[in-house]
Amino acid sequence: MAKRVLLCDDEIHIIRAAEFKLVRAGFEVECAADGQAGWEAIQRHKPDIVITDCQMPRMSGLQLIERIRTTPETADLPVMMLTAKGFELSQQELLVKWNVLSVIPKPFSPRDVLQRVQDALKTASVAN
Amino acid sequence: MASDSTRTTWRLDTVFSAAALALSAAGTAAWLAGWVLPQETLPMRAAMLVGALIVSGGLLQWLLFRLMRQEREARRYLELLSLADDPNSPRTPSLELLPKLRARSPWRQPLSQLTDALARNAEHIQDVEHARAALEIRCRRSAADFARVSSILGGVPEPVVAVDAYDEIILANAAAQKLLGIHEGNGRSLSQATNCARLAALVAEMRRRRTRTQRSEEIEIERPGGERSWYNVTVTTIPHDAQTPERDSEGLQGAVAVLRDISAQRNIQRRHAEFVSSASHEMRTPLAGIKAYVELLADGDASDEETREEFLGVINGQTDRLQRLIDNLLNLARIEAGVVKVSKQTQSLNEILGEAFHVVQPSAEAKQLEFVSYLSPMYLGVLVDRDLMLQTAINLLSNAIKYTQPGGRVTLRSRMLDQQVQFEVEDTGVGLSAEDCERVFDKFYRVEKDQGMAQGTGLGLPLAKYIAEDVHGGKLGVQSELGRGSVFSVTIPAVGRSLDRTGTAGPQEP
Repeated sequence: MAKRVLLCDDEIHIIRAAEFKLVRAGFEVECAADGQAGWEAIQRHKPDIVITDCQMPRMSGLQLIERIRTTPETADLPVMMLTAKGFELSQQELLVKWNVLSVIPKPFSPRDVLQRVQDALKTASVAN
Repeated sequence: MASDSTRTTWRLDTVFSAAALALSAAGTAAWLAGWVLPQETLPMRAAMLVGALIVSGGLLQWLLFRLMRQEREARRYLELLSLADDPNSPRTPSLELLPKLRARSPWRQPLSQLTDALARNAEHIQDVEHARAALEIRCRRSAADFARVSSILGGVPEPVVAVDAYDEIILANAAAQKLLGIHEGNGRSLSQATNCARLAALVAEMRRRRTRTQRSEEIEIERPGGERSWYNVTVTTIPHDAQTPERDSEGLQGAVAVLRDISAQRNIQRRHAEFVSSASHEMRTPLAGIKAYVELLADGDASDEETREEFLGVINGQTDRLQRLIDNLLNLARIEAGVVKVSKQTQSLNEILGEAFHVVQPSAEAKQLEFVSYLSPMYLGVLVDRDLMLQTAINLLSNAIKYTQPGGRVTLRSRMLDQQVQFEVEDTGVGLSAEDCERVFDKFYRVEKDQGMAQGTGLGLPLAKYIAEDVHGGKLGVQSELGRGSVFSVTIPAVGRSLDRTGTAGPQEP
């Protein structure tokens, strides 16, 4: 069964590029334009991994991750973060706290994202 | 009183002398009578004896009188001396005016020694008086100097406080008193007077230094109102006493602390850092798009021509976007730095607005918006840089178009106010909350929920504001109701057509 990826970013081109790469590699991809839409998508159909941007309207990436981790059904969902802003230390601690698998800086390489997703899901399926 | 006793003495002497003379005369008369009168009348020897006694008595009286006279003179002299010593007496004679004593008087030596001693004493007292007067003058002058220094320091806006080697406050200007809560009634030690422990500690530390030194440190101090601000504190050591650079028993010096409020400076630094952070963030986003699609193309992920075209289109678009961003950023920076040459001319505002209207009209039509203009029939003369004012009008119009839903309306108006000219752009778009109305002029600020509506760099409004306010001395304001629409208005000073203040038709220096 194909693995499902949820992409959250308010920049349509970012989403499109990542989606394109992942779809070509055989993943099922769902897109959301902000944190709120992302959360709703997770409710409808739980993905195998979530990749989210940091700065988004309505609900930011960090808020989405917090929501995911504090809900029992989604607490173990693998999460990765895309960001254009340099990370401050306090946010670094937050990442450790929320168990974010990777922090991917923008500009990013779609190849790199694909590799990370594949590695993460391999680990997850081994764990399962 | 002295004269009374003198007169009394005189009277007694006079009585005694008269009596002595009388007795002598009587004795002489009695003796003569013994010769003249018959022998039987008086016993001869008795008469002669009585006479002799009386004569000798008289002589004795006379001698006594002479002795007493010397004593009288001496007493008189002492009385005069005591007068000389008494400053309150109206007849204080100068010591030099006292009569000379008779050369043979036994009183002469002690009295003249006393006179000399008194004269020396008087001189000494005079010297002491002079010294005291001089000291008082110096004291007053010193107090005046100190008052002058205090009032000079009172005019210094930076808080200045000085302590001596015993940590006692010797000077605190008005600003220091206000900031640190030092007033006259306080304990005079700095550590007691102020609530800022770090400041007191720094001063104490400097006081322990061996030489004359200076050090600066940034300290956060709580102001009387409760808010905390950062100050640059410079502490310089001062000798314990300007005359004699001594130290107290522990070898400490005095120190003076000058405080400078750097909260404005820090604020600017912080905003600058935020700006750089925001700017780089804004630039990374189009770059992310470019890189991602370049890589997809390189990996051959675009299997067909259509997809390849699409990807190349995105790359192109993102490049343009980055270009626009950088242009706007540079433009704003250059205008703010005053590098761009501003050339103002008197011209018609309506003419500029007409052109702006024309430039944005296609995008309004593309969104099927009702786009109208009501320009004033009057000539609205303004002294402006045409390109900059055109830019401002275009920014406001294109914002209105961007943030109004299809089917809405955008209106451009202009009018003459008293001494001023105003134009406004009204839309029936998404509107702004009260908070957003304030923040919308910040660089890169874009209202979160509306970001999906249109592309934007977040620099259009800051640029428009800078042009309207800083370059042309006008005002850019906004009134808005969330969900109903907004009105952005620009007001600038008017100039008359006939009073062409520029003097010529050519480009003018600002």
